[in-house]
Amino acid sequence: MSIEVNNLTKIYRLKHGQKKLAVDNISFTIPDGEIIGFIGPNGAGKSTTIKMMTGILVPDNGSVSIDGLNFKKNRKEIMMKTGVVFGQKSVLCWDIPVIDSLKLFRDMYRVPNDVYKENMAVFTEILGLDEFINQPPRLLSLGQRMKADLAASLIYNPDILFLDEPTIGIDVLSKERIRQFIKKTNEERHTTIILTTHDVSDIESLCEKMIIIDKGSLIYDGTLPKLKSIYRTTDLEEIIKKIYLAGEEGNAKIC
Amino acid sequence: MRKYADLAIIGIKEHTAYLNSVWANFLAKIVYLYMQYALWTGLFSSNTGKNIPLSQDETIRYIIVATVISTFMECDVIAWINNQIQSGDVANQLIRPLGYRSMIFAKHIGTSIARIMIYTLPLGILISIFYHGELICREQLLYGFLSIILAYLIQFLYSLIIGQMAFWLIVTWPLNMLLAAIYKLLSGSWIPAAMFPRVLTVINMFLPFRAIYGIPVTLITTPMSYESICENILIQLIWLAVLFPVSEAVWIVGKNKLVVQGG
Repeated sequence: MSIEVNNLTKIYRLKHGQKKLAVDNISFTIPDGEIIGFIGPNGAGKSTTIKMMTGILVPDNGSVSIDGLNFKKNRKEIMMKTGVVFGQKSVLCWDIPVIDSLKLFRDMYRVPNDVYKENMAVFTEILGLDEFINQPPRLLSLGQRMKADLAASLIYNPDILFLDEPTIGIDVLSKERIRQFIKKTNEERHTTIILTTHDVSDIESLCEKMIIIDKGSLIYDGTLPKLKSIYRTTDLEEIIKKIYLAGEEGNAKIC
Repeated sequence: MRKYADLAIIGIKEHTAYLNSVWANFLAKIVYLYMQYALWTGLFSSNTGKNIPLSQDETIRYIIVATVISTFMECDVIAWINNQIQSGDVANQLIRPLGYRSMIFAKHIGTSIARIMIYTLPLGILISIFYHGELICREQLLYGFLSIILAYLIQFLYSLIIGQMAFWLIVTWPLNMLLAAIYKLLSGSWIPAAMFPRVLTVINMFLPFRAIYGIPVTLITTPMSYESICENILIQLIWLAVLFPVSEAVWIVGKNKLVVQGG
């Protein structure tokens, strides 16, 4: 499924009549089946944009279209095809075993039994889900919880997957397994993936294209090799540092 | 329907996840009922109760039935919505292909089923062992059940409206505390509504609280004419008809004002 974002704007109303422009008139298109790195410094408006793209927040202006569908008219249809993982917020029920949350999503998204079993087998093989499936999330390590969250968001084979910092606070080995899993999901199911992260190695190993925003504005929408050629270096961390520094100095535009 | 049943089962499991808390809650209900019984019995036997419009027997019946009903009528919806909005977890609910309020209602039903099994039934058994008088008005029991269902819906809608106000207030606990005190007094869960002074009775007529405890408990415990029964049920239906569109309006305004906390 492709995503089209047009002139998206979000303003937060603060105390004493003050306003904060969180997202400022941004537009971009994400083609079907791609993995896009969606990055920006803290407070750039990434999470707000993702929340508008997932129908959680209502934009003040502009629109989000997913395969021609919009949240006003086709909310349920879009939700049935969208998976979201927030690294800092679990989608699982905190006090009950992981398996119960997975069964809830199976029924909620009307997953056929054979698909459910097939997916569970994949999650067990790659994520080692069987080791902690009968435990509640409150007893899991951060890495285990993230694996369970990924499983819960992919159990219904969504066409679009939003990953908001999926590797935050996770050890190197678990990170690597999660990345492999994301890549495999994209290759085998042709899932469109939007990845928000501060981890440069996540982007290097997963993304072909990048969208960079700063202070609510779009400053780059293109491929990773093109970005490297603009800055004449292959060191992505260095490039990102330069972009963020330029943003602080009020000169954020890349091209 | 299966997805709603799953949510209800989750509600049951979450309510029973901490066994110590379940036991403490159950003991608290027994202690509360005993204290109410001792207080009213003491009040009537000290002659202070001679100006009370209900007899000792009627009062005791009322507080027993009100306490039993309160075991499953209690509603965690305000706290759930508040916590979800304060922590930002509401985002995880809004990405589902089900209505937010339907999901909350299904979970609330699950919690109520758990409460009935864990608190209401054992408390009912204890009461049947220790209280030997005629507790309920059998002829009106059917109307009583209907009234309880209506009260349950009114309670849910009221909680939903207050809970959803967190969509723009973010923190609603001071409001909750104020409303909870008014609610407990005026609903008739502590004191029979028939004992209220005239001013309070008039104020109460314009608030939904007595439709939650006062009406169903009186219908179950006190014999009344068919007209009075219909009048009471009509009051509950009117409150449902008022609260439903209000909850819709609060939802429509609230979701546009929502700010999801955290990154």
